[in-house]
Amino acid sequence: MKQTLKRIISLMMVCLMVLSIAACGNSVPAQPGQSDAPESSTPSASNSSTPAPAQNVQLVLWSIATESDAFHNAYNQAIADFEKANPGVKIVHETFENESYKTKIKSAVAANELPDLFFTWGGGFSQSFVESGKVLAIDKYYTEEYQAQLSRAALVNATYDGKLYGATYTTPVSALFYNRKMFDQYNLKAPTTFEELVNVCQTFINNGITPIGVSVKDTWVLAMTHDALTLKSAGPEKTKKAITRGGQSYNDPDFLASATKLKQLIDMGAYVEGATGLSNDEASQYFYNGTVPMYITGSWMAGSIMTDCEHPEDYDVAPIPVINGNNAKITDFMGGAADTIMVAASTKNPDVAGKAVFELTRSISKYAYLDGAGVPAWEVDYDDSAVNPITAKLAQYATGATSFTLWFDTLMNANDAGEYLALLQQLYIGSITPQEFVEAMAEQLGS
Amino acid sequence: MEKARSNVVAICLFMLPAAVLFTVIIIVPVIMSTYYSLLNWDGITKGTFVGLENFVQLFKSKTAGFPKTLLNVSVLAGLSIVIQLPLALFLALVLGKGIKGEVFFLSVFFIPVLLSTTVIGQLWSKIYNPDYGILNVALRALGLDHMTKVWLGDQKTALLAVFIPILWQYVGYHMLIMYAGIKSISPELREAARIDGATEGQLARYVTIPLLKPVLRTSIIFSVTGSLKAFDLIYILTNGGPAHASEVPSTLMVSMIFNRNRYGFGSAIAVMIIFLCFLMAILLRKLIRTEEVV
Repeated sequence: MKQTLKRIISLMMVCLMVLSIAACGNSVPAQPGQSDAPESSTPSASNSSTPAPAQNVQLVLWSIATESDAFHNAYNQAIADFEKANPGVKIVHETFENESYKTKIKSAVAANELPDLFFTWGGGFSQSFVESGKVLAIDKYYTEEYQAQLSRAALVNATYDGKLYGATYTTPVSALFYNRKMFDQYNLKAPTTFEELVNVCQTFINNGITPIGVSVKDTWVLAMTHDALTLKSAGPEKTKKAITRGGQSYNDPDFLASATKLKQLIDMGAYVEGATGLSNDEASQYFYNGTVPMYITGSWMAGSIMTDCEHPEDYDVAPIPVINGNNAKITDFMGGAADTIMVAASTKNPDVAGKAVFELTRSISKYAYLDGAGVPAWEVDYDDSAVNPITAKLAQYATGATSFTLWFDTLMNANDAGEYLALLQQLYIGSITPQEFVEAMAEQLGS
Repeated sequence: MEKARSNVVAICLFMLPAAVLFTVIIIVPVIMSTYYSLLNWDGITKGTFVGLENFVQLFKSKTAGFPKTLLNVSVLAGLSIVIQLPLALFLALVLGKGIKGEVFFLSVFFIPVLLSTTVIGQLWSKIYNPDYGILNVALRALGLDHMTKVWLGDQKTALLAVFIPILWQYVGYHMLIMYAGIKSISPELREAARIDGATEGQLARYVTIPLLKPVLRTSIIFSVTGSLKAFDLIYILTNGGPAHASEVPSTLMVSMIFNRNRYGFGSAIAVMIIFLCFLMAILLRKLIRTEEVV
């Protein structure tokens, strides 16, 4: 009796498994079949490529421009403009929170469930997406009109293997934000070399003020500082080569110098106490409320200063000081266009989507700049006198930049980036020395 | 009854919904994870088969630090047996005696279990805040300034600081299990002991606790396996940091899979967690023998 029961149950289990596997297997080949039919019908509908009044086309766009995001308004206006200029096209905008979006977009690529248009980060982050063939190359939609307003250089992070896979709307850069009022109080000027930065810090420390705010819990904030110091020590080419496994060892005096300088700042007490336990929101609050006079982060802080500070007019911005003048200039910047909108290869309307990418990013670039949310990647051919002075200054930096180097954790592949951030935490805490940090980085990047 | 039990068709029919759910939700993913753990795979492009390489790396790779996470959860499991369960037992014994306001206290101690872990995480991160957190504020008020710390940001204190909320949260859960166990012990036994002149302490030591043994065993298994897969509060409070100080296998798994795109390696960690949970459950079951009491 028991025997038969066991047999029946095991048989059932097997049946179930086969069934579930078969069910899973079925749905996969079904998808290309579905998208096949409309794809063959689109060319006939829109043969004349550009104006093509597409009949009731609906495009789904995923982004991280949630209601609390600085780009929310720019996205909405850009979409409204596009829908107005292209009757019959409707864009459904779905937004997600930044951190969870990283997971969502990865699983969507894996499951082949990408929307027509999606926000992503250029460089290493999207490399596997492109390699998997799920992203559409959009070179043929990058017309001369667009080329004149958005340079190829800005699209370098959306270019893989010589082909263009996305367009961008903002060129954020790292910079040193500072409280000018506090600087004036002690007759200080924005530092242009590392020695001057140390002097500024020492003056504040002598007067009982912690000079710099940072979050080590959200390690990317600390990485902003270290990335920039490294760039200003080793220069753009060498840095890029080293962190993208381009044949330059990380175990090098220039990289050791930046780690040592960071350590020097930590040891002199330049950073807020308890930074290891503070999130970026908590740490930047110290800067907004005038407790600390300096904060190194991306240009998006300009928008927050306007909204979160009581006296935004007290604040100013400066480029990150230079460590080694032989390798790097003050106009070399960390940053560049990582925020990218791409088109899924599975879209049913590649022509409309391809055009939308450029139209949308151009409009977002404009509206975000006017909102003070971001540094524009597209040419400014409109009146920008109302833009807040800090963002305007950052836009000038971006225009006059001699080089852009993408942030390490975006430029590196995901695994190297994870290790980099972990090592940086250890360096901050003091469980490894700068020499050990450089060696560990070289080992990670050499493997 | 006997007839129903021997009816194979009926048994299969009634078991079918549970069997389907169990298979689809538990068995199939476990098998799939095991398969993934044998791949070198980033989760998106095609993976390559590497055999047991991921498992070797688990113990060999210095940068991943998997052995350290095992040590950390062992500490958590140890702490829950030494601190959490005795505390829960004490509360259950006191409440089981039938004191005034029994139901009220029962609900109060059970509240942490009902609260969302995210809420508890936010709550405790505010308690630990180095600047305005109640812990440091209290220490300063007592003149113990030198004892104030960046609790969640200090490598030395982070591990303990995240474990305390976990232990605190589940005291009520184990208390309720034990309380139910105590209530199911027939009152005659206790009364008989009392007539024989047993004190409260003796009553607990020689009557209640021995009879509670099967329940205690369940509690121990729950708390040990629960520790092995602890995740949510740690994720919220420190996310394994600073510098892996409070890393546990499940946070390491998430960071490997989702932050570093090492799907195969992360799956290997998942398989290890499953394996360890089963191993501990079986081991503890063998270790704590109980005579079935009627």
